[in-house]
Amino acid sequence: MAAPPSAYKDRQFLAVIGDEDSVTGLLLAGIGHVTPPPDSQKNFLVVDTKTSNEAIEEAFERFTTERKDIGILLINQHIADRIRHRVDTYTAAFPSLLEIPSKDHPYDPEKDSVLRRVRRLFGE
Amino acid sequence: MSGAQNREAVFPTRQSLGLMKAKLKGAQTGHDLLKRKSEALTKRFREITRRIDEAKRKMGRVMQIAAFSLAEVTYAVGGDIGYQVQESAKSARFRVRTKQENVSGVFLPAFESYTTEGNNDFGLTGLGKGGQQVQRCRETYARAVETLVELASLQTAFVILDEVIKVVNRRVNAIEHVIIPRTENTIKYINSELDELDREEFFRLKKVQNKKQRDTAAQDAEMRAKRDAKTAANQAEDNKENKGSQDILGEQEDADVIF
Amino acid sequence: MEGLLFNVNNGYIEGIVRGYRNNLLTGQNYNNLVQCDTIDDLKLQLGPAYGDFLASLPPNPSTSSLAARTTDKLISEFRYVRANAVGSLAKFIDFLTYGYMIDNVALLITGTLHERDTRELLERCHPLGWFETMPVLCVATNIEELYNSVLIETPLAPYFKGSLSHQDLDELNIEIVRNTLYKNYLEDFHNFVNTDPEMAGTPTAEVMTEILEFEADRRAINITLNSFGTELSKADRKKLYPAFGRLYPEGSYMLSRADDIEGVRLAVDGVGDYKSYFEATGMGQNSTGAGNMSGGAGSDGKSLEDLFYQKEMEISKGAFTRQFTFAIVYAWVKLREQEIRNITWIAECIAQNQKERIGNYISVF
Repeated sequence: MAAPPSAYKDRQFLAVIGDEDSVTGLLLAGIGHVTPPPDSQKNFLVVDTKTSNEAIEEAFERFTTERKDIGILLINQHIADRIRHRVDTYTAAFPSLLEIPSKDHPYDPEKDSVLRRVRRLFGE
Repeated sequence: MSGAQNREAVFPTRQSLGLMKAKLKGAQTGHDLLKRKSEALTKRFREITRRIDEAKRKMGRVMQIAAFSLAEVTYAVGGDIGYQVQESAKSARFRVRTKQENVSGVFLPAFESYTTEGNNDFGLTGLGKGGQQVQRCRETYARAVETLVELASLQTAFVILDEVIKVVNRRVNAIEHVIIPRTENTIKYINSELDELDREEFFRLKKVQNKKQRDTAAQDAEMRAKRDAKTAANQAEDNKENKGSQDILGEQEDADVIF
Repeated sequence: MEGLLFNVNNGYIEGIVRGYRNNLLTGQNYNNLVQCDTIDDLKLQLGPAYGDFLASLPPNPSTSSLAARTTDKLISEFRYVRANAVGSLAKFIDFLTYGYMIDNVALLITGTLHERDTRELLERCHPLGWFETMPVLCVATNIEELYNSVLIETPLAPYFKGSLSHQDLDELNIEIVRNTLYKNYLEDFHNFVNTDPEMAGTPTAEVMTEILEFEADRRAINITLNSFGTELSKADRKKLYPAFGRLYPEGSYMLSRADDIEGVRLAVDGVGDYKSYFEATGMGQNSTGAGNMSGGAGSDGKSLEDLFYQKEMEISKGAFTRQFTFAIVYAWVKLREQEIRNITWIAECIAQNQKERIGNYISVF
């Protein structure tokens, strides 16, 4: 009804936009994938203080709309804050967008776009 | 809501009345069914949101433990392995596949994680020292990612259900507030038109009857007049000698016969 | 005899290093540190020992920046010592840095292999392993150029020569390259302290031999343990064992044939210390020992690595009981590194609210 199976059957990877520690940990878990050359594409982006918001948005765009093989996009909450407008307006079911806490920034349910939707729906 | 605007453009015939009645019945059944579906979905939806809430909190804890195990690695290796890990990532060991679940006719995709065998990009990381911590950290993070995948499933279900429920509710409302009143209006309209027609017909029939009676009366009168004239002629022949043409006028003075 | 002329050249350094050693955090200090509730408290407690170096930190700094600042102090002290050293001691201190250099070169190799801009990597390099010609290595765009520049520009050339060709850099896993280099380095260092005319037969040679042998054994055991379940073959593994140490040669030979933790335990049976570590960690009896301890979920027992660190610290502490030896420089650096690790660990525990494991640091004073 809402999403035909073709929309998600090829989505088998996870992608991550995060700080170095989060990315390292998730890569250790084995989610890292680099597509074969020539156009090697990584499914992760390390964000530090030098990374520009444009670069984050671009990666966000790439993981959410361009690539069709990503099922879940993980993004550190403090990085999601930097592109909050994009995250909040993202409503598609695929890939599923998940805000995760990072080591230095504990999880704050108030900021989470999905939880906010939950709250709004139930008027809490 | 009232008046001729809010009805369907049909000719007020008995056939369309039948159609409309069938339609109303269909709409009511549909409304009931959709309402029930919406309730089932909403129930599910509430459950999912509750679980999302829980899972998000759980995620906070799990990720913290995972981050801590990475701290252990840093402690044991005595340096930063981030860059090396980033560069040696080649092929995903941890992947997801999607399966479907049917909730009241809505297909909810759910993620399921699986690990591909035989590729191990980081097997040798920390070979000299810290390797055990690295392995432990990998396991911890793998478990954390499983939690994340679970959460992602819930969230996808949330997004899709949200959408579906909106659509269903819109339909329920449309049926309840637009289609049913409109059909009812149409039926009312057809009924009233038909009644009107009935009355017209009755009036017409009466008119016709009136006219017929008048015609009959006229004919009767004529016939009687003829008959009278005949008698009068006979009388006149009798009275020819007495009055002559006067008798004709006198005959006219006879009272009208009223039926 | 060695005491007669030692102070002529090296007395100042020895004094300085002993002074530095007295600055190391003691058990009492650590007790104070673990009581802290926030990183700011921790910073305050570290104030006397680290002073200026922490001053530039923002309030509630991240643990990584805290670690970076504390390392800065070690670096500046180390550079001071190095600048004042002469003769064999200078060479000895240089040797000390080669270990870090290997890590840095390994980093650059990784970067070059993946065609990254290696200049960005320079800031990730360990400052102790910094050498003047390192930026030159960044010019290399392919692995062969890099290989040649490493041979020409770095003191690591002997470690590459003979055991690694530039094709190897391309094909072998970077960890194998790193460990091969490290093995060569340890052997060379061992050889150096035992043959240099100024050191052979002095306390330096004695203490350093003990330290290096321990280091060699530790690496051999770790490599063996960590290679289970990976593509590293036994023959390749054997090449990574340093050719000295208390396990060498019988133990090494048995290690090279070990298939599981039990095999490793048998191999180290001949050396009392290691045997007791294996018993203490319960490895060997239960072959899944290390694997199923879930990270962070309250494994209060010490791991094998912890025990190795503990031992290293004890040896290093012991080095200060000897006089007229260069080994105290090495010992001091190691103690200092452990201290930085301890501080980072405590900071992590505080930052992540994992107080129950905060006592996992290693303190020997």
